[in-house]
Amino acid sequence: MAFISTGYNPAKPMENRITDIGPKDHNEFYPPVIQKNKGKWSHHEILEPGVLVHVAESGDEVYTVRAGGARLMSTTMINEICDIADKHCNGHVRFTTRNNIEFMVDSKDKVEPLKNDLASRKFDGGSYKFPIGGTGAGITNIVHTQGWIHCHTPATDASGTVKASMDVLFNDFQDMRLPAQLRVSMACCLNMCGAVHCSDIAILGYHRKPPMLDHEYLDKVCEIPLAVSACPTAAIRPSKQVLANGTEVKSVAVKNERCMYCGNCYTMCPSMPLADTVGDGIVLMAGGKVSNRISEPKFSKVVVAFLPNEMPRWPSMTSAITKMVEAYAADANKYERLGDWAERIGWEKFFEKCELEFTHHLIDDFRQQAYMSWRQTTQFKF
Amino acid sequence: MAKHETPLLDQLETGPWPSFVSDLKQQAEKRAKNVEGVEFQIPVDVVEDLLGVLELSYKHGRTHWKHGGIVGVFGYGGGVIGRYCDQPTAFPGVAAFHTMRVNHPAGKYYSTEYLRKLTELWDFRGSGITNMHGATGDIILLGTTTPQLEEIFWTLTHDLGQDLGGSGSNLRTPADCLGQSRCEYACYDTNALVYFLTNEYQDELHRPAFPYKFKFKLDGCPNCCVASIARSDMSFIGTWRDDIRIDQDAVNKYVENDPAYPANAGAFRGSKDWGPFDIEKEVTGLCPTKCMKFANKKLTIDNSNCTRCMHCINVMPRALKIGKDTGLSILCGAKAPILDGAQMGSLLVPFVEVNPDNDYEEITEIIENVWDWWMEEGKNRERLGELIMRQGFQRLLEATGIEAQPQHVSYPRTNPYIFWKEDEVEGGWERDVEEYRKHHQR
Amino acid sequence: MSDLLDNVEDATKAVVDFLKEKSKNKTKFYLNDFYKIFPDDKPRAIKKVVNRMVETGELEFWSSGSTTMYGLKGAGIQHSSENEE
Repeated sequence: MAFISTGYNPAKPMENRITDIGPKDHNEFYPPVIQKNKGKWSHHEILEPGVLVHVAESGDEVYTVRAGGARLMSTTMINEICDIADKHCNGHVRFTTRNNIEFMVDSKDKVEPLKNDLASRKFDGGSYKFPIGGTGAGITNIVHTQGWIHCHTPATDASGTVKASMDVLFNDFQDMRLPAQLRVSMACCLNMCGAVHCSDIAILGYHRKPPMLDHEYLDKVCEIPLAVSACPTAAIRPSKQVLANGTEVKSVAVKNERCMYCGNCYTMCPSMPLADTVGDGIVLMAGGKVSNRISEPKFSKVVVAFLPNEMPRWPSMTSAITKMVEAYAADANKYERLGDWAERIGWEKFFEKCELEFTHHLIDDFRQQAYMSWRQTTQFKF
Repeated sequence: MAKHETPLLDQLETGPWPSFVSDLKQQAEKRAKNVEGVEFQIPVDVVEDLLGVLELSYKHGRTHWKHGGIVGVFGYGGGVIGRYCDQPTAFPGVAAFHTMRVNHPAGKYYSTEYLRKLTELWDFRGSGITNMHGATGDIILLGTTTPQLEEIFWTLTHDLGQDLGGSGSNLRTPADCLGQSRCEYACYDTNALVYFLTNEYQDELHRPAFPYKFKFKLDGCPNCCVASIARSDMSFIGTWRDDIRIDQDAVNKYVENDPAYPANAGAFRGSKDWGPFDIEKEVTGLCPTKCMKFANKKLTIDNSNCTRCMHCINVMPRALKIGKDTGLSILCGAKAPILDGAQMGSLLVPFVEVNPDNDYEEITEIIENVWDWWMEEGKNRERLGELIMRQGFQRLLEATGIEAQPQHVSYPRTNPYIFWKEDEVEGGWERDVEEYRKHHQR
Repeated sequence: MSDLLDNVEDATKAVVDFLKEKSKNKTKFYLNDFYKIFPDDKPRAIKKVVNRMVETGELEFWSSGSTTMYGLKGAGIQHSSENEE
């Protein structure tokens, strides 16, 4: 494994350096039918789950076959996507904001061969590589964060919870039986680098224990003022500590009751780890949306305060999600998003119909906004 | 033979949804065989060690990663996230496992020629594991060592014509929906505007400029497919201010349940039978402003009362089209809940034209005014939305020179505690108490 | 732009002096910590000057992933784990 240099010279980093050139120009990547008809599309139609046609004013058509994919993807998979795109789509492909892969062809006769090719590809373990679906009044791919594969503050895994969820929701990925689209999102800690706070159903990793303090090493591996200032709730202060061997060291103290378990201190200071086998788990939220359609965009609400991490398939979590989806599918009106449905029937009925337990943790007590969520009327349902 | 036993992860290989475990395993095997004779610049068994450390997390229920302070390549304040394994002896292949963010193209369109160059580079100098794509939109290259960072950047910029994305207190990689490239609802060319803004603000994207992160997201219409209204400090959402265009013949095709005119463009073609389409129940009756009616085979819309929610257009796309006088609305301050709770974007500019001919001057002027205010007044790690909350929406209007209008609020304030400025009150605040006492005893 | 910020040498010295003076307590600083050194200048102008000091080698960036900080090159705790002490 000899080091092979590109020509970069560490002693003179600015030599022949190219910077600030930005992304590739999308015009280089458009399929010809897209380039030609851009801004002149007449209408579209979902022909069946996962297959769309867009019709241009010129009469041109572009057929899109949408396939789900794990966003954690190897170069082997990407090269396979390229093989498919080369074979069927003249070397063009796109991804959606929800990690789906879209293969586009410019005539109807090219659709079936493409579909058959995609559907035939499976991993050795048995799962589909390119399941077709994710359109219309169904469940599309879950957007998510890194989790245990690569993040330092996750309270759960992302890829695993998503795989487990999509396996139980798979029929709805390939169907369009729901009252409206249902968006599921996943973020593996409350920092929500994938903002899931406006999703029909949100899976959120959550810690429940304040950081541990590795006093012996803290001052050696961390800058104490940075650890102190990292805390959003000002729960950390500098403090002298006496070790078991009697040595006095500089360290920090944490006011545990102020801690919101965000892990920001651990980011600044590796001597303050907070991950915990039983402390960490899953929060489920529901009823959010971003579309302005019919009703205004709205935030998701916490509907399950905590579920334990149950590796590798999180059965309690997938069961709660399934209950929500089935209750919604059975009871909501056509075009009604999950949150619109919950508001129409009332959240008290939501818990009843979804067979979810309401607990005191679901009553907001965080800062001023909490008041807005309490019931200030005599109108409620028994 | 796998390097590490992974009994827990193995259980994620079954089931229909694409298994990331199967994918990681095929990648590990491909590296081990190395048929193409790649001179791997990071350990050949990196993916096996990644599987191993992930299995350990599944066993422990805890992460095994630590943060690293590496920020980027020389001169950049973002684009790289440093990552170290906390079990480097057991999993040496992933002891250092940094992420690089690569700025994705508008609309996430690719040529296979480009993707193959990228995978070739990433097999050579990295783990070969990616995210397509990260939550902000970038292509994420997941896992390489420190000495490779500059080399990868060199190849990206010199051979692929490709730059890194943002992280840290920078402008984050702006993201868009596919817009007019393939959507009849798009009110402006999101791809062109996102490309322009990304290039215009390269300095802000690569080098820290702000109190905290700052995100642009661009949605072509109020359906908000990229969630700009919930996820970006400044969201640009397409809209129009003239009339919805109606094709009455097509409306009647929907009413007659013509199979070529399925409700909601076929979105309900699933296993549930919702019965025949009913325009009153499904369109006019659900219109949030009740500004439309269907009588005598004619659909009429009182456009002055339409809030452009897109519902009727979504249901009958062959009959109803967005208006012709299009532009975008700008909303400010959306963010995820941490710390003071989630915020949705608040409407700052109801309508602005999208004009590439003058380099989108009206839009960039608003952006720069907002930035100047936030850079002056924002506390460390305070998002724009939090500054607006702390100092008030009126300060945002002052900073951007925008006149208050009723569109700015859902409803006017419910308290009378108005902090008048001295120059707003006739005669100011300086008064003569002696003069007052001539008429009022002490 | 103030004369101080406009003069590369003076501005560099002012920033370096400020960081050295504070280095006993901590070694990483936010952009707005530098605003105090140049009270008459716009943040945008200050940002350009300190970012240039990274390219000329006086300063270096440190990032938490969500925020970026500045420090004197090589200052503070540089290693990433206990084994590297």
